[in-house]
Amino acid sequence: MKCEHIAELLPDYLQGRLSAEQHHNVEAHLEQCADCSEEVVIWRKLSLLPVDQPDPASRARFEAMLQAYKAGRSNQPEGGTEWRKRASVWSWNVFHWLRSPLGAAAWGAALLAIGVFAGLRLAGPKPPSLDLAAMQSELASMKQLVVLSMLQQQSASARLEGVTWSTRDQQLDPQVLSALLHTLRYDASVDVRLAALDALSRHGRQPQVHKAILDSLQQQQSPLVQVALIDLLLEWRDPDAAQRLQALQQAPNLNPTVRQRVEWARSKLN
Amino acid sequence: MLQVRDGAGETLGVLFDRYQTPLFNFYSKLTGDRTLSEDLVQEVFLRILKYRQSYRPGTPFRAWVYQIARNARIDHFRKFPPQTALEPEMLPPVLPTDSAQEQQEVELLQRALQQLPEEKREILLLCRFQELKYEEIAVLLGCELNTVRTRIHRALQDLRKAFHQLAHGTMLKKAEAAAAESIPPRGGRHEV
Repeated sequence: MKCEHIAELLPDYLQGRLSAEQHHNVEAHLEQCADCSEEVVIWRKLSLLPVDQPDPASRARFEAMLQAYKAGRSNQPEGGTEWRKRASVWSWNVFHWLRSPLGAAAWGAALLAIGVFAGLRLAGPKPPSLDLAAMQSELASMKQLVVLSMLQQQSASARLEGVTWSTRDQQLDPQVLSALLHTLRYDASVDVRLAALDALSRHGRQPQVHKAILDSLQQQQSPLVQVALIDLLLEWRDPDAAQRLQALQQAPNLNPTVRQRVEWARSKLN
Repeated sequence: MLQVRDGAGETLGVLFDRYQTPLFNFYSKLTGDRTLSEDLVQEVFLRILKYRQSYRPGTPFRAWVYQIARNARIDHFRKFPPQTALEPEMLPPVLPTDSAQEQQEVELLQRALQQLPEEKREILLLCRFQELKYEEIAVLLGCELNTVRTRIHRALQDLRKAFHQLAHGTMLKKAEAAAAESIPPRGGRHEV
């Protein structure tokens, strides 16, 4: 048997899917052909590669995402599967429409109307009722939807506005938090990244947010954001500050200004 | 999966436990970036929730998950094109193994794998680490079964060549170092 013939059989040989006769033929060839047998050796060696373990915090992040998703779904009325399918298609269309300029204007008007209505109810003599609580919850989920939608926009100024919107709430929704962290790491515009950092740093007391912000330091490419993150490290008196700064200082191609800032920060720590 | 499809969100936790590590390894070995890999794994589960109605009962669930995983990665790099090429420093650390030789082989193999073009690396990861059947890979990549076999064979050939080049380079360096040690320095104590 020639190598070309073996090449057709080798992938199945590796997964043990050949007939006894074919298996025997391949083995006979492998004993004589160094190149083909080395391929088999490499295939087996691949099993030596270590299995990378994900961060244990991933599970908590997944739970937060699931909760946020369920909270969003629980506002919809219960119904049959068929009804839910239709509702899902409908909500998908509505979501697309909301992202259009006309939809954005409608959103604005709806939010204003709800705001005025809620304001009147709050100012009125009646004590807060269950209706009001439901409306407030609806308003919060609308805000969240607006922020998430704006952070996905093409235009940097729209994304910037989305970040600003996210600062209006005292509590940060897990989905918005995740979107802001993504913006901080990957947004194409430095201004948007800086705004996201500013918005996130307001919630720096939450250990999860604190860690996620500082973890992004190693991946930052923009000197401006790097400097802002170094300042935060000092401001928060992070216990791992020295270690993080040292790791950053060793990064190749570090901007000279950033390097200077790292040295300054390290001298402050000492 | 049918329970997830019909709205039981709790069951997704079971799927997360089962698929989190394989998916994380798929991404980390493909991109060499741990943080991005974790983000993408979360994105995959969010998409499973969103698009669970599109899963057809009776079809291989694993292939469906990896279809989502591939799309999530493609969408990510479409939005945020990679700015830096994969550096060997970004590779995960190799844990100490029984023998130094084995550890060195693992390191060389990791480097050789990263030198392969992305599509060849991906197909090897899918069949060797994710243990997808060739039929599943064919559906996933949208090609014929025989094409899958040919691609695996070519990827393996390239991996073998890359591994040997790296191993050869390492041996040369060692030989040079050994030669440099055996030559006594001028003016050293060996000189009479």
